[in-house]
Amino acid sequence: MKPELLLSVDSKQSFWIDPRTKLYMLVIFSIVMIDGKTDGISFWLKPILALIPFFLLLSGRRKKIAIIYLIVFIVSWTVNVFLVPYMGLIGTIIISLLAQFGTRWFPSAMMGYYLLSTTKVSEFVLAMQRMHIPEAFIIPFSVMFRFFPTISEEAGSIGNAMRMRGITGKNFFKNPQAVLEYRIVPLMMSVVTIGNDLSAAALTRGLGNGKKRTSICKIGFHWKDFALMIIVTAALLVFLLF
Amino acid sequence: MDKKKLNAKDFINIGIFTVIYFVMFFITGMLGYIPIFAVIIPLVLGILGGIPFMLFLTKTGKFGAATIMGTLVSVLCFLMGQSWISIPFGIVFGFLADLIFKAGEYKSWKHTVLGYCVFTEWVIGSMLPMWIMRDTFFEAYRSKGGTDEYINAVMGLTANWMLPVVIVLGIVGGVIGAYLGKAILKKHFVKAGIV
Repeated sequence: MKPELLLSVDSKQSFWIDPRTKLYMLVIFSIVMIDGKTDGISFWLKPILALIPFFLLLSGRRKKIAIIYLIVFIVSWTVNVFLVPYMGLIGTIIISLLAQFGTRWFPSAMMGYYLLSTTKVSEFVLAMQRMHIPEAFIIPFSVMFRFFPTISEEAGSIGNAMRMRGITGKNFFKNPQAVLEYRIVPLMMSVVTIGNDLSAAALTRGLGNGKKRTSICKIGFHWKDFALMIIVTAALLVFLLF
Repeated sequence: MDKKKLNAKDFINIGIFTVIYFVMFFITGMLGYIPIFAVIIPLVLGILGGIPFMLFLTKTGKFGAATIMGTLVSVLCFLMGQSWISIPFGIVFGFLADLIFKAGEYKSWKHTVLGYCVFTEWVIGSMLPMWIMRDTFFEAYRSKGGTDEYINAVMGLTANWMLPVVIVLGIVGGVIGAYLGKAILKKHFVKAGIV
């Protein structure tokens, strides 16, 4: 789990788009990309659509991941479209399964990564408020993203302590019960304590008193948002109609 | 404060336990990259998720908690790039689990086990694309001249009757996980005064 999820601080991005636009694009991606067709209109549509996360990641200053993504997609697309018809039986099954992974799942995953790594928690919370999502979902959601880094930190420390006693993942099959118990129980203990502290802190700041909350962030739709939305909606329509 | 309704403290607890549950799911999901092991995902998830889920239930024994948790876990899956199909599954199975817990007033052990089994079944939603993908995959394969016997042999691994197997494995995992969770709860958390 990467600690940078929803915690990015570079608010002066050259290409800022609204969290709701990102969410909308993710939905479209998960509809269009999950389908396995590579012939007909999909042959042109999907690579074009797959380029969107690449440019977005570039604009979000995540060059390395963007380039890795582009290479993986091009390779698996080429394999899928041009190589699979000429391969032997078993080769087809194994390689094309991997390639399917690259063409179907990877673009959506990158879109999700872009959403999570370039949006601040408060922006995301405000976007959810604007979408009239009830507080029952907003509060756990914002807590969750604050918690991913905390948990990996705690788990790391517990792992270090347990390594001294030889209770590591490597020895899992020697004594699975001990590995499970001595890893999970301390983690839960500390997590429950942190949770109590967190809720005390949040309650003092007036979370959950039922009033409408204000936010320091500014979100809104600009021409970029409309342009992206039109592009992906057109892609969806083309995909559904043809 | 109303004791029966979820308050801000419960929401925070839901968030925290969803994270732990999701980490368990993430560990389990790694298995899914090995095609044959993908079938036992519900079993492993049921067992691993049992401990956090039992603690979660004792922390927030109120109606709606499991629904929110199911929704959040599946939305997280969606944000990580999986298909949207898992979201309705997360909501529905979370809600069903909530109804069962409610019927047992959040105390009855039988209802807890049953409810947790139902909750674990949400994972089918994240596995469904496997079945949907299979059809298009083999269709394309057949059109390229694959032999039928070979296709049938491979199809057997992901055949339709595997779906009930997956469901049963989820229930088995749920039962084991629930008992494991209860044992751990008794052994550690009650003693430490956390529950």
